[in-house]
Amino acid sequence: MRIPRFEYFRPSSIDEVCSLLYKYRGEAKVLAGGTDLFVKMKKKEILPKVVISLNGIQKLDRIECDEKDGLKIGPLVTHDAIVNHPFVREKFDFLSETCFKIGTRQVRNMGTLVGNLCNASPSSDASAPLLVLETKLKLVHLYGERTIPLQEFFIGPFQTVLDPQEIVVEVQIPKPAPHTAGSYQYLHKASSVGETLVGAAVLLTIDPRNSTCQEARIGLSSVASTPIRAKAAERTLKGKRLEEKIIREAAQVAMDETQPRSRSLYRREMTRVLVERAILRAMEKIR
Amino acid sequence: MKKQLIELRVNGESFELAVEPQKTLLEVVREDLGLTGAKEACGTGECGACTVLIDGKPILSCLTLAIEAQGKEITTIEGLAKAGELHPLQKAFIRYGAIQCGYCTSGMILNAKSILDENPKPSRDEILKGLEGNLCRCTGYNKILEAVMAASTGED
Repeated sequence: MRIPRFEYFRPSSIDEVCSLLYKYRGEAKVLAGGTDLFVKMKKKEILPKVVISLNGIQKLDRIECDEKDGLKIGPLVTHDAIVNHPFVREKFDFLSETCFKIGTRQVRNMGTLVGNLCNASPSSDASAPLLVLETKLKLVHLYGERTIPLQEFFIGPFQTVLDPQEIVVEVQIPKPAPHTAGSYQYLHKASSVGETLVGAAVLLTIDPRNSTCQEARIGLSSVASTPIRAKAAERTLKGKRLEEKIIREAAQVAMDETQPRSRSLYRREMTRVLVERAILRAMEKIR
Repeated sequence: MKKQLIELRVNGESFELAVEPQKTLLEVVREDLGLTGAKEACGTGECGACTVLIDGKPILSCLTLAIEAQGKEITTIEGLAKAGELHPLQKAFIRYGAIQCGYCTSGMILNAKSILDENPKPSRDEILKGLEGNLCRCTGYNKILEAVMAASTGED
């Protein structure tokens, strides 16, 4: 299978990328790892006239970490780099564990976190953990920039609010509060790529004085047209002591917040199971 | 589209080539350099037959532009044998019958090499997880696993 022809640019700054995106309007695509872009081009699902590579720009493969501000991840940071980053492993363990699950060894060496988000697959594994971490994305275009919460980024299957002239330059992940832990639980199809059928991420903050749940966030992938937060289920947990009955109830509520596009019965039921599992696992980690 | 002059480092040698930008690294090593060890099977990054190493890390050459592989050290299966002597993994694959049709073998061995370079004594599960992106339709994987285990223990 061949990649259809295109005109290739390899600019050396984000400004130049923005100028090119402006000049070619909707006819250009940005290249980071290529694991989604070239598959789509080979299958002729998209046929951009122009491909703009980010690989000539310095420092886009950096992970910046700060005890106060949290993480900043550039657009050329691969899944493998996140898996192996010591600070991420320590403070954002379930994010690095999730990235280890994505694709295969080869794909993790090529594919980028930002590319995964821009592809906007409803079953994107990175999305559920990033949603519960209250991640923001920094978007720039020729005449300015904006920073938006990740949950506003996804608008439908493989659709985002990203304008054809915009580019995502940074993933910003705030540092979680003390006494906080997260877990990502998933089930996937039996194949090498192992596309996720249901993914559930839970982030809990427990008050050590009275063991009540100060903060609960639940993110779900593959059970609606975009990755979603299960806000009603979160409210079920907040302010309560996390006993068996409450955990079961929250998992039930989360199940009712899903809107699977296919295999509805299975996906709903497994949402309940995985949310419960992720809550229990997160609680264990805090203890 | 106009051809562009590029320089690639493959198996320790430098090559200057004129390529169109949409040419994949796989097409260039096979068609321009005559290194036909890397194979195309799915063409979409699922099977691992096209795996080569870039700066020691396994990547999919069917989804990598040749033009983007400049300035990097590329290793194909042809680069593993040294002075006529097969690499220990190649020997182990032969000894354990881990090759049948051979189509997956070059990608499988290169990925296995990168696994052992990173962790010389991986567990059975670590090898399995590491090789999940290389599909084999003949061996049932057991013989491949045995061969990689044998190579990791230094058995010759």
